[in-house]
Amino acid sequence: MVWRTELMKNRHLFRCALSVLLSAAVLFSSGCKAAPSEKPIGAPVALHPPLGLPPVPIPPNNPPTKETIALGRRLFYDPRLSKDNTLACSSCHLPTTDFSDTVSLSRGVGTAIGIRNAPTLINTAYLPLQFWDGRAPSLEKQAVIPMENPIEMNQPHELALSKLKQDPTYRRMFREAFGTEDISLGRTENALASFERTILSGNSAFDRFQYGGDKNALTPQQLRGLVVFMTPNKGNCAACHTITPQYALFTDGKFHNLGEGADDEGTFKDLGRFSQTRIEADKGSFKTPTLRNIARTAPYMHDGSLQTLRQVVDFYAGQGNSNPYLDKDMKTIHLTGQDREDLVEFLKSLTGELPPNVGPPGKE
Amino acid sequence: MSFFTHRGFRGFALSCIASALLVAGCSKKAEQPAATPSQPAVSYYKVDPGTAATLTGTVYYKGKAPARKLIDITEDPACVEAHKGKAYDESLMVGKGGALENAFIYIKTGLEGKNFETPTETVVIDQQGCWFHPHIFGVQTNQPVKIVNSDPVTHNIHPVAAVNREWNHSQGPGDAPLNRKFPNPEVMIPVKCNIHSWMRSYIGVLDHPYFAVSKADGTFSLPNLPPGTYTVAIWQEKLGTQEQQITIAPQQHATVDFTYKGK
Ligand code: HEC
Ligand code: HEC
Repeated sequence: MVWRTELMKNRHLFRCALSVLLSAAVLFSSGCKAAPSEKPIGAPVALHPPLGLPPVPIPPNNPPTKETIALGRRLFYDPRLSKDNTLACSSCHLPTTDFSDTVSLSRGVGTAIGIRNAPTLINTAYLPLQFWDGRAPSLEKQAVIPMENPIEMNQPHELALSKLKQDPTYRRMFREAFGTEDISLGRTENALASFERTILSGNSAFDRFQYGGDKNALTPQQLRGLVVFMTPNKGNCAACHTITPQYALFTDGKFHNLGEGADDEGTFKDLGRFSQTRIEADKGSFKTPTLRNIARTAPYMHDGSLQTLRQVVDFYAGQGNSNPYLDKDMKTIHLTGQDREDLVEFLKSLTGELPPNVGPPGKE
Repeated sequence: MSFFTHRGFRGFALSCIASALLVAGCSKKAEQPAATPSQPAVSYYKVDPGTAATLTGTVYYKGKAPARKLIDITEDPACVEAHKGKAYDESLMVGKGGALENAFIYIKTGLEGKNFETPTETVVIDQQGCWFHPHIFGVQTNQPVKIVNSDPVTHNIHPVAAVNREWNHSQGPGDAPLNRKFPNPEVMIPVKCNIHSWMRSYIGVLDHPYFAVSKADGTFSLPNLPPGTYTVAIWQEKLGTQEQQITIAPQQHATVDFTYKGK
């Protein structure tokens, strides 16, 4: 035992020396070369949100350009971002299902199964915080998290970048977007975020009614559903799924506890927002999702446990699941059978158009 | 970088020492008889089969039995389909000869100080046809209660408990059963569905096994009862409560009938 430890210590000393040398070399080489600029060089393009949406918030250091959007789009649909080249961002955020997927919990590389439902990416550009628990502060910071996540794409960033560097098309696109051929994580983040900012959806029947002056855009039943949606002691939905006089994101971007995922003890396996804030009352709170295109993004809720819109509306009719931190806005909900039918029909009026050029590149 | 490697190594060395200690500790222990933790065993009251008595009885309703009300469940068309047939009110069910069904009979006093073991059998409450089955039932404190949704619609079961914790929980079609317990005696806990206003059930929770629900012929039976002096109580959803005192001798087959007067 003693003898073996001694040997290991020696070997360890040797490894230490080696790594000191190596890291010195790395420091030296990176000291010589400035990190590649992550600022797009092209002319910023204006994003034109459809009817019912406000202007898109744009970070000053990453204005979307034609080149960064095109690059982000190629990256979004590229399975090389995953360990075994099988999963692209688009594998869980499918353009055919409005950038969500059809399973309750997303499948990662190999046999990995995630813990949460993949949310739609439409209009995610407006959200102040990304993810169900809000753990990413921006689209830029969000973009590279799934790449390394073991239950998603499961590939070290260095490896992903080295794969991209072997592709002359990427070298050209990074140069056109950022000025040099350098393929860095920061540039990848910026390009993906700029592409995602173009995935906007509005101009639904609801928008044409509410903001377009088309009084016939909603059916009488949908109109009744809208009233239920807005009325505090009926649906009370707009308390969290916000509609303003100028536009509607159908989310307040905040975190609420509906009791979804509460177990038989009234506790939560997935603690949601609490995992970020450590505030006791945040246990079981999740970010209010948008309701746009909701008829096309089943299953529902952070755990994908509700299969149909009818089930969601019935869940609210029952005032959710009791637990110590249930949101007070859940307790004022009162829905008759007719209200519930009307609400479901109203939710179907929120399906809008997708822009023409957000599908796989080269296929528009 | 090198710091990490170093710390990693130290951690390894430490864990080596720790595991060496652990091995030594283990082998030493194996030689000695393992000390069992001296936890006071909970002693449950056992009924002496030689003296056990039985209390039976019948519950009557005197007067003209009101016709049972038809309940309108058309608010949810899926319920109408699932219910298969008309839905009649169960709050006052009078049978032949004034036999009153669905009354809850239990020993209210006389068992103090006796600690009865919690049964392990699960009591099932099923939501079927937008209706609770059974309508009236009893459980012992902490006995497992399983809540099943056999319907193609979502329910939200809500025991409006006053002594126990009040809670409500959504259960969609095909969802797994809920497994709950009621830790405190409470007669009765009204149970509703937050979605379907007509659904109603009542649970009587007691810390002993002496409770029963009157059958269609009005009868009930409380077997295996230790001899003693008891207050026997009855609860009926519409008609309220009554009590009777009775002293029961060893092995006696005692009877207590209850009669509610109709209005
Ligand atoms: C294995 C499936 C999977 C892959 C691959 C994947 N995602 Fe996601 N995505 C999810 C899931 C699940 C969530 C929700 C996770 C959470 O909230 O914890 C999510 C959340 C997001 C969000 C937050 C949206 C919101 O409303 O908060 C964005 C943005 C996003 N993904 C973009 C991407 C991008 C860009 C990629 C490719 C680099 C990608 N995703 C790859 C499954 C996936
Ligand atoms: C207290 C705030 C609040 C109220 C009130 C509210 N919601 Fe929600 N809604 C949320 C949150 C938060 C989630 C995500 C919850 C989760 O997954 O745990 C959500 C999820 C949803 C979803 C699923 C979305 C998806 O992509 O999975 C739908 C549909 C929905 N709500 C519709 C409604 C309707 C209809 C009403 C009114 C009857 C309503 N909401 C009232 C906050 C609220």
